[in-house]
Amino acid sequence: MKKLLSIVALSLCSMVSAQAAVVLIGAPGTSDISASDAKKLFLGKGSSSSVPFELDEGNATRSEFHDKVTRKSDAQLKAYWSKQVFTGKGNPPATVSSAAAMKSTVASTPNAVGYIDEADLDDTVKVILKP
Amino acid sequence: MNTRHTFNTALKALPFAISISLVSAQGFAAEETNEQKIAKLEQQVQTLQKQQTASLTDRFKFNGFMSGAYVSADNNSGYMGSSTSADFSEESKLGFQATFAITDNTQAVMQLMMKGENDWDVEAEWAYVSHRFDGGVQLRGGKLRVPLFMYSDYLDVGYAQPFARPPEEVYGSVPFTTYTGGDVSYEFEFDDSTLTVQAFGGESEESGTDIKNILGANLTWTDEIWTLRAVYGQSTLDGTISRSVTIPSQDPVTGLPISIEASVPLLTLDNEKATFTGVGASYDNGEFLAVTEWTRAEVDGQYTDSDSGYITLGYRINAFTPYVTAAYYESQDDDQRPVFSQGSALIAALFNGQRTSYSGGLRWDALDNLAVKFDVTYATNFGDTSGGFQSNVLQEYDDVTVYTVKFDVVF
Repeated sequence: MKKLLSIVALSLCSMVSAQAAVVLIGAPGTSDISASDAKKLFLGKGSSSSVPFELDEGNATRSEFHDKVTRKSDAQLKAYWSKQVFTGKGNPPATVSSAAAMKSTVASTPNAVGYIDEADLDDTVKVILKP
Repeated sequence: MNTRHTFNTALKALPFAISISLVSAQGFAAEETNEQKIAKLEQQVQTLQKQQTASLTDRFKFNGFMSGAYVSADNNSGYMGSSTSADFSEESKLGFQATFAITDNTQAVMQLMMKGENDWDVEAEWAYVSHRFDGGVQLRGGKLRVPLFMYSDYLDVGYAQPFARPPEEVYGSVPFTTYTGGDVSYEFEFDDSTLTVQAFGGESEESGTDIKNILGANLTWTDEIWTLRAVYGQSTLDGTISRSVTIPSQDPVTGLPISIEASVPLLTLDNEKATFTGVGASYDNGEFLAVTEWTRAEVDGQYTDSDSGYITLGYRINAFTPYVTAAYYESQDDDQRPVFSQGSALIAALFNGQRTSYSGGLRWDALDNLAVKFDVTYATNFGDTSGGFQSNVLQEYDDVTVYTVKFDVVF
């Protein structure tokens, strides 16, 4: 009976995690950031000491993140960065290729801020914003 | 009973097993210490080397952009350099940019451009050093873009623009796009928006006319959906404006008809004061797009004073952004150029101008970093002027349609 319950609970969990949303992460001990600071950070504005990391272009979590945080579509974001680059104002954040790479980069780089799907969370990183 | 016995045996065996495993682990560790140490050190050296080379390559950034365009028109009025024969070079260009971070706050930027309209000669459009002070004030010096219009800073980066080209009526009203000098800017960061204040000064030169004492400022506020902008600039113009004309003649030896190219001085600018005022606004919520600008350029004396403006509306449907634009240009001081002789008639014909244009186009984001654009622009309403085209001073044409297919790439 207990086994059955735990199976049900587990499958419920996985159902929930399948619907999980993107979360911003930092190394454990990083303080939370506001939505507007996150937007500025990932658009290269302001004077924050945080170091943003992006997932590769074409990644669904990346699109979801920008949809919620910077409110820019993939094409808009590309046009935005080409504007910044060719006016000498800044360069897009460095990219990593997977949620696992994002977690290890964020955990090991000082002041790093990244984002992953909630389902990929573990205790190597801390959620600093749920957009 | 049997179970308990096994359990007891296991319990008794446990410390033994643990101690065995501890001992063996210790022994293993002791044996491997030196090799492990070396491996660890090697790993550390590798990481350090990686960080060092990474920091050097991080300091250099190379980027580029390219546009290829097919342009043709239904007549030879010369609108935007077009003609009835297909042209592939007029709006084709290639740009390379190198950015070198001298320190965290200081960088050198160089953008080299090759344009079809300049026979692919290599020119530096940007070449400057910028420094950001701790308080956030940014200082730049070198060769810079004259920041008069909303798209001035990335005039040649077609990929970053929604349309095939910024409307000629507005962007063609000032004949120079770069200057040598400096600017100082500061960004006021609000909760959800940014206000950028920029002041600039320097000098430039265009077709033998000195553009001196350039001084100006602009304000740009944006929350990444709305953008509002205002600009004022002034300068002193000094030099003689000449026009090359083709004079039909006869070869003195053979007697065959030939044509002679001659440069005719038309207008002398003797430290005339020029002023420029512009306002602009744009809205882009990711789906709906609207951009508008209005400008006024005034020059003392007989050189054209003009008003111009445009509005562009677009709508994104996945990778497709259809757009429409209406634009106008009109000289405001035609009464400064009275016609009393052949010379004054030529001046009036060259410096008076008015026109309205209507464009319909489509931007297709075909690939990640490639946009293809289709555009048809119809210009009309020239009044009793050439429409503002030097090649139409005889007013042969009173309208023109230009067709453009263009691709824009960033890399």
